[in-house]
Amino acid sequence: MSTKENLPQASNPLGIDGLEFVEYATSQPQAFGALLQKLGFAAVARHRSREVMLYRQGAMNLIVNAHEAAESAPTLSAFALRVRDAAYAHHHALELGAWEMPTRASAMELNIPGIHGVADTLIYFVDRYRDFSIYDVDFVPLAATDPRPPAIAGLHWFGVVQSILGDRTADWLDFYQNLFGFSVLPRGQYFGVLPKGTLLESPCHKFYLQLVEPPPGAEDVRWDEGLVRVGLGAADVPAAVKALQARGMVFVDRGTVQPSEKGALTQPYLGGVTFELVHSHLKP
Amino acid sequence: MNLDHFGMDTITLAGPLEAKLRAVRAAGFTQIMLSAQDIVGHPGGEAAAIAAVQKSGLRVTGFQVLRDFEGLDGHLHAYKVDVAKAMLEMCRALRSRILLVCSSASAHATGDTGRLVKDLQKLAMLAVPLDIRIAYEALSWGRHVHEYTQAWDIVQSAGRENLGLALDSFHMLANRTPLDTLQEIEPKKIFIVQLSDFLWQEVRSPEDRIETARHSRVFPGEGVHSEKVIELARQLDEMGYRGDYSFEVFNDDYRQLPLPVVAERARRSVKWITGRVARRSLPARRQA
Repeated sequence: MSTKENLPQASNPLGIDGLEFVEYATSQPQAFGALLQKLGFAAVARHRSREVMLYRQGAMNLIVNAHEAAESAPTLSAFALRVRDAAYAHHHALELGAWEMPTRASAMELNIPGIHGVADTLIYFVDRYRDFSIYDVDFVPLAATDPRPPAIAGLHWFGVVQSILGDRTADWLDFYQNLFGFSVLPRGQYFGVLPKGTLLESPCHKFYLQLVEPPPGAEDVRWDEGLVRVGLGAADVPAAVKALQARGMVFVDRGTVQPSEKGALTQPYLGGVTFELVHSHLKP
Repeated sequence: MNLDHFGMDTITLAGPLEAKLRAVRAAGFTQIMLSAQDIVGHPGGEAAAIAAVQKSGLRVTGFQVLRDFEGLDGHLHAYKVDVAKAMLEMCRALRSRILLVCSSASAHATGDTGRLVKDLQKLAMLAVPLDIRIAYEALSWGRHVHEYTQAWDIVQSAGRENLGLALDSFHMLANRTPLDTLQEIEPKKIFIVQLSDFLWQEVRSPEDRIETARHSRVFPGEGVHSEKVIELARQLDEMGYRGDYSFEVFNDDYRQLPLPVVAERARRSVKWITGRVARRSLPARRQA
């Protein structure tokens, strides 16, 4: 007998199914929006009551939250996991020792459950991503705008880079393995042009987290824990670089991080925000 | 092993927090173990207490103490989780890397090992984003966990990076726990060692142990079990333990003596210990 039920496997207790959106906080949403457009994102909807915009590119949703944003430099403030049952996922995480997120922090008026992630960031759980979207309630579509702008060069979410303090890798592995079922990729298995830290694969095999401790000799550098940047996957990185350069994006072209088949890194924009392209086998 | 590896504990001293910090610093110590009472009982409020600690220049050895956390059900568990969160937040604000957790003495707590493990895993998880390590200590009058060997079994089963042991010589001496199984513990999983002695040979009943532990401890070198304390410190040193030692000395007499007098006794105790334990610079003996 076969069943079509989407039951989570033991190694994926929450039924994680990719990233639903990432969220940035910034007090200069216009400038950041212009940058996102160069990167291939298009504004598709505006929040009903707050200074929050939804950008989209292919299957990627990106929220820019200027509501009560303190910092001008855009900072990655949250990511949302697609899960089978958001209420269950939330309850499960709290039972295992996650911290409930502060209620006022959410960009959404819909009650999207979430927990504290690293530093001041949040991790949301979203289960309405198939027939009904979470954006239908809180956002008003922009008029005369394609609600589903296609991706440039097949770009898709590849992962999120998280900085951590020295000797904290094992702590954060405990966090992501036990709460969500992430697994560690063998040492030496890296993607992109920044091969360092520890790479974790989501239990759904649809995205990665990269944990990066301060490099040796960085004792004098101010190094905080937090979400650093997102990685965008591309089947053909040079083609994606070319397409984005044509739109005005500038990539670091010196040293070890110059664009290659493996990946590319944009220059820092607006006080420090960067984006990474990564050669990806993942499907857009 | 030198003075920098030892800290005093505010519970030994009388008076306001600032006076304790000054006395400990003046005696040459570089670190101090803090209690929640130091912070919440400060007349200027929590923020003033935290500012005083930071201004003192002393490193915070650890923050104590979360009691009766593990093994509870339903609303009792939820209540303790709330208490734990508040303690963790204070611990973080004080820049303490360690929260001390005593094994439960609660009559409401289960002794089911699986449950104890699960609860401590949850506590460790709560501590991860705050960069805090949970040091689990077997109280000699703990209801289900009263020997360090039991605490170690639970820590091992939990298998969390930021969950380790607090060893307290008092509880080991009071229960006459043999030290031979100490060698089975990974040194890196011992997060803090608390040293003290006491003045009588035996403390047989749990009531005796509680009474002595809370009122009549003395510094190592001042009691009748001090050679055993040295044996403990020596073994730990040889195993490769390189963490902190803190004087967990609850003593009613010391709380009515001038602070510099008590701090000087603590300093003398450090000298007494370090003179008897092999120097830290010597390589640790390899364990088979």
